[in-house]
Amino acid sequence: MRSPSFFKVFIVVLLAAGAGGCRHIGVKAHQRELLADRIMSLEGNAQERAADEHILSNREGAVGATGTSGGGCGCN
Amino acid sequence: MRTRGTHSSCGRTLARWLAFACLIGGAGRASAAEVEAAQRGTLFLEPSNIKGNAGITVIHPQTDVSATFASGFGIAAGYAVDVVSGATPRVFGVRNDATGRPVDAISGATKFSDVRQQAHGGLSYSRPVGDFAASYSYGWEHDYRSHAVTVNTRTDVLDHALTINLSYTHNFDSVCDAANVDTAGIPLARQALTNSNNCFKGTADVATRSLNIDAVEPSVTWAVTPRLALQGGGTALVLDGFQSNPYRQVDLGRAGARPQETLPQFRQRYALFLRSAYAVPAARASIQAMARVYRDSWGVRAATAELLLQSYMTRFLLWSLRGRATAQGGAVFYQDAETYFLHGPNGKYWTGDRELSPMQNFLTGSQLTYLHIPEAGEHHFISELDASLKFEMLFYRLDSVFAPNADRKYAGILQLAVSARF
Repeated sequence: MRSPSFFKVFIVVLLAAGAGGCRHIGVKAHQRELLADRIMSLEGNAQERAADEHILSNREGAVGATGTSGGGCGCN
Repeated sequence: MRTRGTHSSCGRTLARWLAFACLIGGAGRASAAEVEAAQRGTLFLEPSNIKGNAGITVIHPQTDVSATFASGFGIAAGYAVDVVSGATPRVFGVRNDATGRPVDAISGATKFSDVRQQAHGGLSYSRPVGDFAASYSYGWEHDYRSHAVTVNTRTDVLDHALTINLSYTHNFDSVCDAANVDTAGIPLARQALTNSNNCFKGTADVATRSLNIDAVEPSVTWAVTPRLALQGGGTALVLDGFQSNPYRQVDLGRAGARPQETLPQFRQRYALFLRSAYAVPAARASIQAMARVYRDSWGVRAATAELLLQSYMTRFLLWSLRGRATAQGGAVFYQDAETYFLHGPNGKYWTGDRELSPMQNFLTGSQLTYLHIPEAGEHHFISELDASLKFEMLFYRLDSVFAPNADRKYAGILQLAVSARF
């Protein structure tokens, strides 16, 4: 895999997305009706997320970037 | 192999926690702004395509209760169990345990069962522009113990347009291992743990190895437009300690050496992610997308993409569809069972862990959620009630028939959850 370069591209995209949107910062409170809906929550349900991560982190080499962390050897 | 779990003890513990949860819910209701209780059960089935091999079954119930008081203080507690049973290969190799003749890599599976339990509790303080939380969790099973402390802070800036989140977790874990006092530090001489009967009892045949984990997770969430939210962040994990599966042996070379799996003491793991949510009000729906890249000091590199569609079928019924794909390369010291047998190890580390092998996995599934939300002006003891049913399939694609767990091609995940706010 060519992950080192992919990693750098990902960081650049992340920064560009942030810089490009700076002029739009400041969605007003009355404009947040849609953003406040549960289907727009980027964190999702904490208990569901913990269960999903518990399953996936024991079955693939990658972890993290999900807002959860924990131990356990997952030996099986 | 691991000792049998005590299911009745597990049930009694769960009942005590439920009683405690009800007590908190009842007592807190008078002065709390909000009390929430959630119960979730997950059934994970990963069958084997070898006749007579049970594969893996995990039953994972979770209970969580939280109360947020008008002053801004909050309290949370929870309990989770893993009841794990099935069969897993004791030796990662290409020869039959009994005859020594070549077979496929996974025929020698040994039956086992175990119960893992975890209890956690935490305190939080919320302000209008942010909050702070601290929690502690204790996990235990026959051969593993884990203490974890987490602190988390969240701050809203620029009139709530940006939310900055920072989380830190430290684990103080202990792993049971064979004592291996006569190996003189030679990895090839290390013997695997045969069972967990004497773990954490101070007997001479077993030893307790430590594993410390530090995890830092920063993230920023940005309300870009009235219909679009973005989130970016990352994770840095540093693990220091015993990380091998103490029971696993690896068949190395034609001379018949079968030492315990040996992994490096240190591992640094990094991940970056970008997530977005876009509202489609005309369809009463949202589209969420996530991309993640990962690399670690063992040479594993991975990329993950996920898409989640959610839509209100009616005011009370929410439907979602999820697709997820991950591709990863293997650890630098990983080899499949045939290569370990024919050529021996590549260096001083060897493993039979599927998660360290080159692989891809694909997850897809759907969830249906019933939402009970009273009309404005109505007052009920339960102010909100959710009940959901989720089913997902996880498919594995390994790069060799001699890869670990090559007999398990897929897994099914069934989840049932109920949560209520008072």
